Amino acid sequence: MRSRVVVTGLGIVSPIGIGVSDFWKAALVGQSGISAITSFDPFPMDGYRSKVAGQVRDFAVERFVDSAHGERVDRYAQFALVAAKEALADSGIQMAKENLHRVGVIVGAGMGGMVMGEREITQLYQQQKPYRVHPNFIPVITLNSASGIIAMVYGAKGPNLTISTACSSSAHALGQALHCIREGRADVVITVGADASITPLVFAGFCSLRALSSKFNDHPEKASRPFDRLRDGFIMGEGAGTLILESVAHAKKRKARVYAEIAGYAATSEAYHMVIPREDGLEVAHTMRLALADAGVTPAQVDYINAHATSTTIGDAVEVRAIRRLFKSSADKIAISATKSLIGHTLGAAGAIGGIASVLALHTGQIHPTANYDDPDPVCALAGLSRSAQERRVKVALLNAFGFGSNNAAVVFKRAAS
Amino acid sequence: MATDPTISLRIRTALGKYLKRDPATILTTQHLRDDLGLDSMAVIELLYRIEEAFDLQIPDQDLVGLANVGHVVNYVEMRLEKTASPAPNKKPAKPSKPKGKKKI
Repeated sequence: MRSRVVVTGLGIVSPIGIGVSDFWKAALVGQSGISAITSFDPFPMDGYRSKVAGQVRDFAVERFVDSAHGERVDRYAQFALVAAKEALADSGIQMAKENLHRVGVIVGAGMGGMVMGEREITQLYQQQKPYRVHPNFIPVITLNSASGIIAMVYGAKGPNLTISTACSSSAHALGQALHCIREGRADVVITVGADASITPLVFAGFCSLRALSSKFNDHPEKASRPFDRLRDGFIMGEGAGTLILESVAHAKKRKARVYAEIAGYAATSEAYHMVIPREDGLEVAHTMRLALADAGVTPAQVDYINAHATSTTIGDAVEVRAIRRLFKSSADKIAISATKSLIGHTLGAAGAIGGIASVLALHTGQIHPTANYDDPDPVCALAGLSRSAQERRVKVALLNAFGFGSNNAAVVFKRAAS
Repeated sequence: MATDPTISLRIRTALGKYLKRDPATILTTQHLRDDLGLDSMAVIELLYRIEEAFDLQIPDQDLVGLANVGHVVNYVEMRLEKTASPAPNKKPAKPSKPKGKKKI
């Protein structure tokens, strides 16, 4: 019989708070973490169509982790380290007591070490001095630098993987961690999503894709507005989320506090288009159906959906179409919220951060508001969406995450058996 | 060779900054790995900073001779004296001995 898997620790770095307690307090009052970009200084913002983002302000890695580790990696991996540290402490796991070969690390990251990446590439092309490329350039930009440094800091010698599927990266990290423990290859997996690429080149790239909101540059807090009629694109965010996953047996043995069970997962491809989802929502519905079946629950049992909901015109409409397709008459009974309305789209971190919001909904019975859902767009209105926090006894929560490359993921969490 | 105190100080300052310790506690006799705890990657990072500070390029062949702080100081002095030092790759240099006084 396959192992059941539970979530026993949480950690987060987000534009509305570093630390789960601060994040959740801010989320429940609908606080916006979106602000005007200043981090490109002295690079001018004039040429950018979009000028706002969900930035983590005043982050100094040395305040949280030993600088010998923190300074060796790029910003996204620093976020990952900080979120992992909080989650491990929260879980009560003491690495000295663990079989280190049974503790894995799985990280989802979409972009990786772009801060140093952009700087070094720019300097090389401007100065044409290949011998001035920083010796840490390759280890820092390599996408598994976060999973590597976390393992080194904590001595975790189990499976060490990085999943990169753009915006669904860390939903897949959660799913792969679930499989890893289910299959008996690890007792504990430190599961992380992290990205920090609000950088001149990456941001310009998303602008050029016409994917970002540009109508609310003067009112940043209004810019991320999933499902609202005035939405005009997503807002880039940055951050990291960590969930400690472990087998029920392992959690019981050490009498751990359990937030929720992670019970189901599905991964599919639409095999359709690099950046555009299928308009009929067929594949998204199929993905959610597979994840629910994997968890052994029916669509009618779902109480809460943490929607992918990036605030793009097409994406939000497709997700609601898929929800209506699968849940039919019960679609309007499900509480729904869009975490990206508060912090923007944290790309590779989005699945993990949405996972944290889902787990907290199960654990606390509170669902954070969807900010700026002022004028419901008829093509994607759902009764369970609200600008206010909702209270509900959530037993089953569904997390959606979709990524460029025609990639879909869905994860199911259940209330932990008491 | 006369030791230029400025170069020694600059190198020890760079090391102190890297190691987050007082440069005055760093001695020229100290071994980069055994005494100062630099691993091979850290040595490469340090030399990268020294290359920048002194506008030098240190060929791979010379790394082997740079085992302690004094070797690095002597090596930089020698390179700065040789204003017409060959560019890397043009003329492969022989590895320096640990004393670091061999011509390249």
